[in-house]
Amino acid sequence: MSNLRHFLLLALSALFRNRMQAALAMLGVTVGVGALVTSLALGRGAQDALDDQLRAAGANLILVTAGNYKVKQDIDTDPEGHIGHTELEPEWRGPDSPRAMPASSGPVGEQGRLIAPVFQVEGPAAGGAIQAVPGWFIPAHFEDDPMAIHDHPTARQRLGDASAGLGSAATLTRDDAKAIAGIVGVQHVVSGVHENVRIFVKDSPEQKQWFTRMHGTEADLPEIRSGWTIPHGRFLNARDVDRSSQVMVLGRVASDRLFGQGVNPTGHTVLLWHQPFQVIGVIGSRSWATQPAPGDDQFDAVYVPVTTIDRLLNLSKLNSISVTTQSVGDTTRIAKAITDLLRRRHHITSTMPDDFTVTTVAQQMLGKGLPPDLARAVTGNMASVDQMTVEQLSISLRRTNWTMLALLAGVAAVSLLVGGIGVMNLLLLSVTQRTREVGLRIALGARRSDIAIQFVFEAMLLSLIGGLLGILCGVAASGSLERFFQWSAVVSPSAAALAVAVAAVLGIAFGVYPARRAAQLDPIEALRHE
Amino acid sequence: MSVITLQSVKKVYKLGDNVVHALRGVSLEIGAGEFVAITGPSGSGKSTMMHILGCLDRPTEGHYLLNGRDVSKLSRDELAEIRNRQIGFVFQGFNLLPRTTAVENVEVPLLYSRPVVPAAERRERAMKALEAVGLGDRFDHHPNQLSGGQQQRVAIARALVNEPTLILADEPTGNLDTKTSIDVMRALQELRERRGITIVLITHEPDIAAYGTRIVSVRDGMVISDRPNTPRHTQEEASTPVMAVAE
Repeated sequence: MSNLRHFLLLALSALFRNRMQAALAMLGVTVGVGALVTSLALGRGAQDALDDQLRAAGANLILVTAGNYKVKQDIDTDPEGHIGHTELEPEWRGPDSPRAMPASSGPVGEQGRLIAPVFQVEGPAAGGAIQAVPGWFIPAHFEDDPMAIHDHPTARQRLGDASAGLGSAATLTRDDAKAIAGIVGVQHVVSGVHENVRIFVKDSPEQKQWFTRMHGTEADLPEIRSGWTIPHGRFLNARDVDRSSQVMVLGRVASDRLFGQGVNPTGHTVLLWHQPFQVIGVIGSRSWATQPAPGDDQFDAVYVPVTTIDRLLNLSKLNSISVTTQSVGDTTRIAKAITDLLRRRHHITSTMPDDFTVTTVAQQMLGKGLPPDLARAVTGNMASVDQMTVEQLSISLRRTNWTMLALLAGVAAVSLLVGGIGVMNLLLLSVTQRTREVGLRIALGARRSDIAIQFVFEAMLLSLIGGLLGILCGVAASGSLERFFQWSAVVSPSAAALAVAVAAVLGIAFGVYPARRAAQLDPIEALRHE
Repeated sequence: MSVITLQSVKKVYKLGDNVVHALRGVSLEIGAGEFVAITGPSGSGKSTMMHILGCLDRPTEGHYLLNGRDVSKLSRDELAEIRNRQIGFVFQGFNLLPRTTAVENVEVPLLYSRPVVPAAERRERAMKALEAVGLGDRFDHHPNQLSGGQQQRVAIARALVNEPTLILADEPTGNLDTKTSIDVMRALQELRERRGITIVLITHEPDIAAYGTRIVSVRDGMVISDRPNTPRHTQEEASTPVMAVAE
């Protein structure tokens, strides 16, 4: 209606006339909408945090490792729905692969523990005199310079053939990785070469050194490891990989051990295989599911471009390919697709076993990738732990979440009700004050609807302004909760829109009664009103 | 053609157990361009008559034809439309909206007109009406910045703005001193003379009733006399156009 502006001004001036009462009524709406926005933000934040934690724990991660340590078990043939190794003892395949003792105690499902041991009983070529004690007590170690020990033919032997130990088999190539990237539903594909290394701080007087895992990797790795933070510097980028630069990102543990707790090591130089690598960043964990600890595979580790490893060691094979799926629920299908693809690419006939191993982290996660209390909470709600999938886990957690959210929403609803009563109260006051005016307007030809609209407009304006302020308060409250209590609270645009809608509906709902009262006034009586 | 036809109009109020017969069968015909003064003491039923004539109330019995249309059985909203289009009100207490300028006050009836009158046209018509009562230069004054007479002339402008066929003035001079009352009455007379608008004036003051061309006396809910009158200003002075004169 073209009189909108008039009625808007009318409502504004009416509110301004009772500005004290209007402010109080508005405050009620503000508190209600603020509570609503905050509770939605907390609900959404908890949801995001949950998804985040699930992703951070690698629920959508598929690992393809070279070699096959469990010939008889395959993704499709496992009758219980398990994929691969859920228990600790890998059955190494091949009689001549080096005997190894896993020394790291990182979470199951990370490449390191299954791929290679931290120290070896026998070295292939450096003479048999190396003792079976942790390497950092030994002044010189064959891992210091694989080129010195394994020059090309040896290195090739070491990265042997399909019958070598898991991960050291030379069956995966970068072309395999590229092919996997072409599968629909695949999010990221990162090639990996993994070695045990000893690294030194260059120019450090006390010759600081650390035995750790070295991952040759690509720039996308942080996308897969979504639970990472980068407290210092940056991760590898595409240029580092393209140029096979001698740059290195340190895991939190490695950084702390070499440079001291919390020190920013970027810019320093670290020696690996007597080669200088510039430290460009540090990675840490932001998930409770994974905390940096010595011996784990992610944070007691260093990361260098895979191409740099290729260049230095003259390799062309990969130990592993890490794949993430766009959807957590899609991992099984994609794992199957990868298996089929690689079997085709590797010309494996139906009677032959795979020369690679595909494992999905999702199905291993139950009770392992999660902290104990969470795992208990989850398993306590499930009838059959064996049958549980990540989706179910997520649903179960979500249910807990909803309970909390419902509670908060209840608080918000009560505040909104109080706010609405405030609005109604103000409107009734306004109608009483303006009885004479209403009578006049009716006498001059206002229909009942005209009068009702005028007051509903006033109520709506009041609650909309209150609502907008409430959104601001909700955003501020969410921000404070996030900042000071580390609660995850995310104000989404749809939540803000919902809050505006709720405020508008509130205004209408609580404005209707006073508006009706005004509209029903008898003009004769109203005009006599003083 | 008659603007107003009342046919044995009765109005009964029930106040608890008491039944009040405010009008006991009033028949009246008012032609176009008449200036009818309805007089009577308080409690005579003249206010009830005015409410029925103004379509603010409906008769209990009988018929009221306004411009030939029987409006005695119309709904509230239909009556609202009739009031808006055909009747201009001038009240004793002016009934201007406070904190609202003169021109905005005059615009109020246009806000409720259907089809909707655009804002620019509203302003233009309201300005014209204000000019017609000699207050064009005070359009942006608030009621509390205007004298009583000026306020009542704003109210007359408001009654005029929708170009009604009938203006109902309910004790329009009740709150005014004698001199200002004369001004307001002249303004009403001029409307009748220049525009041919029918005016019904409710008053208990014989002096004021004397401005009408016809005087109807009411008592106890019945018309007790109905006589033509020679309007007062023609007796007293020449017809100087007072409407354009500012106070």
